Amino acid sequence: MAVEQLDIHLVLMMPEILVAIMAMALLLLSAWTHKGGAGVIHWLTMMTIVAVVLVIQVGSGTATTFGGQFITDDFSRYVKVVMCLGMVLPVLMSADYIRGHGMDGGEYHVVTMFAMLGGMIMASSGGFLILYLGLELMSLSLYVLAAWRRDDRCSSEAGLKYFVLGSVASGLLLYGISMVYGVTGGTGFAEVASFLGKPEGHGSQLLALGVVMILAGMGFKIAAVPFHMWAPDVYQGAPTPVTAFMSVVPKVAAIAALFRILFDVFPTYHVQWVPILQLFAVLSMAVGAFGGLVQTNIKRLLAYSSIGHVGYMLIGLVANSQAGAQGVLVYITIYLFMTVGVFGLIIAFDRQGLGENISDYQGLARKQPVMAFVMAMFMFSMAGIPPLAGFIGKFSIFMAAVKGGFIPLAVVGVLFSAVGAFYYIRVVKVMYFDQPEGEFKVTLSGGGFIVVSLSLFMIFFWGILPGDLLAWTGASVQAFH
Amino acid sequence: MLEHYFPILVLLGAALAIGGGAMGFSYLVGPKRPYHEKLDQYECGFAPLGRIRMRFDVRFYLIAIIFIVFDIEAAFLFPWAVAFESIGLIGFIEMMLFLSVLLVGYAYVWKKGALEWE
Amino acid sequence: MSLNHYLVLGAILFTIGIFGIFLNRRNVIIIMMSIELILLAVNINFVAFSRFMGNVDGQIITFFVMTVAAAEAAIGLAILVAFFRNRATIDVEEIDSMKG
Repeated sequence: MAVEQLDIHLVLMMPEILVAIMAMALLLLSAWTHKGGAGVIHWLTMMTIVAVVLVIQVGSGTATTFGGQFITDDFSRYVKVVMCLGMVLPVLMSADYIRGHGMDGGEYHVVTMFAMLGGMIMASSGGFLILYLGLELMSLSLYVLAAWRRDDRCSSEAGLKYFVLGSVASGLLLYGISMVYGVTGGTGFAEVASFLGKPEGHGSQLLALGVVMILAGMGFKIAAVPFHMWAPDVYQGAPTPVTAFMSVVPKVAAIAALFRILFDVFPTYHVQWVPILQLFAVLSMAVGAFGGLVQTNIKRLLAYSSIGHVGYMLIGLVANSQAGAQGVLVYITIYLFMTVGVFGLIIAFDRQGLGENISDYQGLARKQPVMAFVMAMFMFSMAGIPPLAGFIGKFSIFMAAVKGGFIPLAVVGVLFSAVGAFYYIRVVKVMYFDQPEGEFKVTLSGGGFIVVSLSLFMIFFWGILPGDLLAWTGASVQAFH
Repeated sequence: MLEHYFPILVLLGAALAIGGGAMGFSYLVGPKRPYHEKLDQYECGFAPLGRIRMRFDVRFYLIAIIFIVFDIEAAFLFPWAVAFESIGLIGFIEMMLFLSVLLVGYAYVWKKGALEWE
Repeated sequence: MSLNHYLVLGAILFTIGIFGIFLNRRNVIIIMMSIELILLAVNINFVAFSRFMGNVDGQIITFFVMTVAAAEAAIGLAILVAFFRNRATIDVEEIDSMKG
């Protein structure tokens, strides 16, 4: 009995293999050096990620391996670089936090690397099985990360909530996949797509149910309304570097996987999923805009803010075009820098035992004008005020929606971004017009300074000269037609 | 368009009917005649020796956690062993890679002292 | 036994699992059992489809789902133990220290 020889090209998976091997090596190192190796592991993690980014750059063109289960193309490479940044910047800025809260010992870095590895696999997945495995690797690591501060009530509660709701989401996704498998007889994206291209591949109710359940499962992972209820609690309870990490990497990975599913597998079913995603987008923008108004905890505020941002990104998916995909990539890249920058400042406040409550920022402008200015710029960028980069992200999404004929959706998006701007500006008002309470001096750590100033530079640079960003993202979405 | 979601409605209806039905039926039909012995905990016919909400030592959980992972991962070995002849060297190497990943986890658990009871 | 029988069984298990999570007000362990039930329902679907289509992919997926479920249970238990140590309870209604 001969078995068909698989096409295995490990070269295509070099970035993933590198991350996996280094993560395991660092795990062993952490066990054998105990706390003494924490600093070494910190820098080895940084160097690994830099090496991974370089390895990603080496690849070119579109290729598949493992019988089409693993795809590398310009899109996946771009997304993976974004994920690497989304992992390395929070780690770099939070070295102090990790030491100060007893999270050192190296395992924190290892689990973060595994979470990123799962995300990278999702972005390159060429079949539902590999998508599920990548998603679970990422999610399981994230549950652990959310509960990392074992002695903290909120942290372990956040981990438990995230675990329960995330597992339900995985169950929904799998149930949907089983429906798709039952109808099409395959789980590879190419197989399913070719079945759906044939005449008998239309109008199956079971398949429609499967698509809805897959969308619900993925909606959970990106915290799109109505599957967002975990986000505020988990964002608040998780340690701040983890919150920074999980507001970027899982969203990037899940959105990349959604692109593959919707554009490559179910393009013929767009009458099904476009209205659903439209609903998700409008609801997410609404909850993001109104939910943030009454918050007093800044991490909760940022959770609602990220729900709103996901709503805007979904508009790009709804547009169902290359322009839409490009808009999402632009948005997500800018969102990365805004988010990381804000969390960098929150972590700096944490060194004084402050920063969780919005009232901690009262009168910051009098005491530390530079800090207040930087924070204000991030808030204005999130609100989408030109000439900062947040505006470019929203603009490219709305233009894609208008071009795709979704003018009402774009109008609704603009209205909600006006409402949402209110609570960002409230933070600025607290910093500039309220009386300061108590004396404290907030300083950034070395890594924090690098991350915050890089983020600040990027949101100014891309706000004024977005040409490069548009060119890169434009080139990486050529894979979709 | 909307008729495509009919199955979801049916599923929702069925779920409500089954879940609510079972609970409602047992509530309505089940006789409720509680007396002391019936509400008491059952312990092999003896008078109970300890509280019913006795708690297990948390170390059992740790052992269970480690056991569950290593036990289930062994499930991959069975189909591999059956198909061993036909999958050739590649299959062998892949399984060794998989086992070495497990081994990394095992070494970590061992070194951290999670396998020791005290 | 037709394919439909198996699919209905899978659907019933799945809905019991979902209801077990959202109606249960007592114990987090029950929630974890419900999660396992959901994954088992999915496995029944996969195996049934696989058997009736003569396509082995579904059974392979079942293996992976099983192992991932084990990892998930292990991590869930670990988080639960950490939670229990902080609160001395695993009551669902007491998981409420964050509001807003």
